[in-house]
Amino acid sequence: MQRRILVAAVSVLALLATLPVATAEAQLKGEYKIGVLEPLTGPLSSEGKRHLAGYEIMRDLINARGGVMGKKLVFAVADIPNPTAAASEANRLISREGVKILTGSFSSTLCGAASEAAARHNVIYWESSCVDPRFTRRGLKTTFRTEIDGIGFGWYQVEFAVKYVAPRLGKKPSELRVAFLSEDSSYGQGATEAARERAKKEFGMQELAAEYYNFQTINDFTPILIKFKQLNPDILFGISRNNDSILLWKQAKEQNFVPKAVITAGATGFGSPDFGKALGNDANGPFALLEPGPGFKVEGLRPDGREIETAFRAAVQKATGSYPLGGHQLAAGGLWLLKIVLDKAGTDELDAFRKAVFALDLPVGSLVNGWGAKFDETGQNSNDRVQHYMLQWQNGALVTVWPEEFTTNRTKWLPLPAWDKRK
Amino acid sequence: MGALPQLVVSTLLLGGIYALIAVGLTLIFGIMRVVNFAHGEFLMLGMYLAFWSFSLWRLDPYVVLVVALPVFFVVGLLSYWLVMKGVIKASHNVQIFTTVGLSIALQNVALVLWTGDYRFVRPWHASEVVRLGGAALNLSQIVAFAVAVAFTGGLMAFMKFTHAGRVMRATAEDREAATLMGIDTERVYRLAWTIGIVCVGVAGVLLSPVYTVYPQAGLQFVLLAYVVVVLGGLGDMRGALFGSLIVAAVETVGAYTLGIAWKEVLYFVLFILVLVFRPAGLFGQRGAETLGM
Repeated sequence: MQRRILVAAVSVLALLATLPVATAEAQLKGEYKIGVLEPLTGPLSSEGKRHLAGYEIMRDLINARGGVMGKKLVFAVADIPNPTAAASEANRLISREGVKILTGSFSSTLCGAASEAAARHNVIYWESSCVDPRFTRRGLKTTFRTEIDGIGFGWYQVEFAVKYVAPRLGKKPSELRVAFLSEDSSYGQGATEAARERAKKEFGMQELAAEYYNFQTINDFTPILIKFKQLNPDILFGISRNNDSILLWKQAKEQNFVPKAVITAGATGFGSPDFGKALGNDANGPFALLEPGPGFKVEGLRPDGREIETAFRAAVQKATGSYPLGGHQLAAGGLWLLKIVLDKAGTDELDAFRKAVFALDLPVGSLVNGWGAKFDETGQNSNDRVQHYMLQWQNGALVTVWPEEFTTNRTKWLPLPAWDKRK
Repeated sequence: MGALPQLVVSTLLLGGIYALIAVGLTLIFGIMRVVNFAHGEFLMLGMYLAFWSFSLWRLDPYVVLVVALPVFFVVGLLSYWLVMKGVIKASHNVQIFTTVGLSIALQNVALVLWTGDYRFVRPWHASEVVRLGGAALNLSQIVAFAVAVAFTGGLMAFMKFTHAGRVMRATAEDREAATLMGIDTERVYRLAWTIGIVCVGVAGVLLSPVYTVYPQAGLQFVLLAYVVVVLGGLGDMRGALFGSLIVAAVETVGAYTLGIAWKEVLYFVLFILVLVFRPAGLFGQRGAETLGM
């Protein structure tokens, strides 16, 4: 008898647990389809698939929370391994599937072509990942980006140096002696030039050197490390890809180069898991600007942001068995923001949609990843609202260390001690 | 002045790496007159051989080196029979397209079999540093340099003192005359190709503790190897070694004095100057550029 009551109670509880979802989904009137463009084959496929997974997880969360404009959100997905495919698939989704909004695309090599195609049809292109600064500077009224651009990376690198590193080194920002070392693609140069300008003009930092290299042909960093060692900077700012960052850091150890802090940005290079895999505990110390990672404290977010971030993390954990990765986070952050805009606009008609986008004024902590939103007239979300986080390599893994109100971890090794003291 | 010892050491060690790759290329270039655009991909295969041997059986790359010699001898023979044999008498254009095709095919085979992930070979000596007179020397690079010098010396001796070497040089000088003298030129080409592939395969194994392993890893070095070969003189082993050291010196000193962005400009200016004023290369015999010596 007792067992029956127990079974009945559990069944009722289980039913109640699913009720909000089932009710919310049941109330949706019809479907609303958007196009999702991702590189699902080719060299970018692993990131593209992760990005799509982020979209799908967030789509289900959105549908459990009333969908978009009261309708169930559905996807028409297309594979775009290269820019040609990006343009043709964008055209196909618009003309055959009849979508009025396209989103994607993970990569800076793809977002330009896809958004040009969308603009020709006067269709909204909502980018959530690519960081090419030129993307929002083409005067396209149909193009929007939720993530910061490469220049935003530079902005945040300096922000961290000024607000966090300088006081801990016992220096004013204008007393900081800094050096820049970056790969020379438009991404690396865009971010680095933005950091240089802000460091110099806004804070009067003393620039000792700025060096660019080709990440595909670099075989030896020794000469530049000898030079940097002689210059003895407080901070080394860097943007790198993958193999170059590993070679750089390995040779930095060989040359016993010890700046007081190394501040990098982006999910490649110092921000890639490969960096830790290759170097183990020798990776310890450098900072990388990323989306929130282990140690991120949802309690620091506003109630609305906290709710969706918690649900998203649990859903990713359930689907993948791990903490959300950058690809998941960027896609989900972008899609959640799209829902908010569509719900406010009540339509996908371009003028009303733009009006809703520009009317958004959400403080940091309101959205997934702790983001806020305030778009400028080019369709770019603003640097100070798209909250980014500084992660540090500690014990061979990246952990969130800044802003401190959003994390349970604390920075170690600032200033960086000798190489054998970073264990 | 304080930087000088390190700059000298870096030049020598980097030059050793370039020589290791260029020596096989110059052999193929000189004897067969084939520009092997797939050279970098054989280097990449060497790196993967070291990676898998290390990850699966914890075999040190220096142990794998012993296995690499026969493995790449077979790889060289197979690639010759399957690909190069058919185009050995074809025009240069056909040969170039064939080796470019081979390069892309090998890259994609690696991509399909082993994915585009970055892989690392980290034996104990990968991070071992020897400090000498104010300079730091990576142990893996010291070994690579020593092997490069040994290989170059060995190949020079082989070409000069053995019958097979003399036959190869004769074929390189004049294919028709060599044929008339009863030399089996097809066998000579097969041997030159195979030895060239063995050299670059071994180079791949030796470089695996220093660099990241991935399907496009060869592209990182192969352009430099062409510069070295042209600079040193087509087909000249000694030229390959000295050409490597010259390119490494230009790169190292240029990066230190002018900035790292200038290094490619500098060595390509040198490359163009050599082509214009001494087309046979710094150590090549005059007129060798037309003979393929």
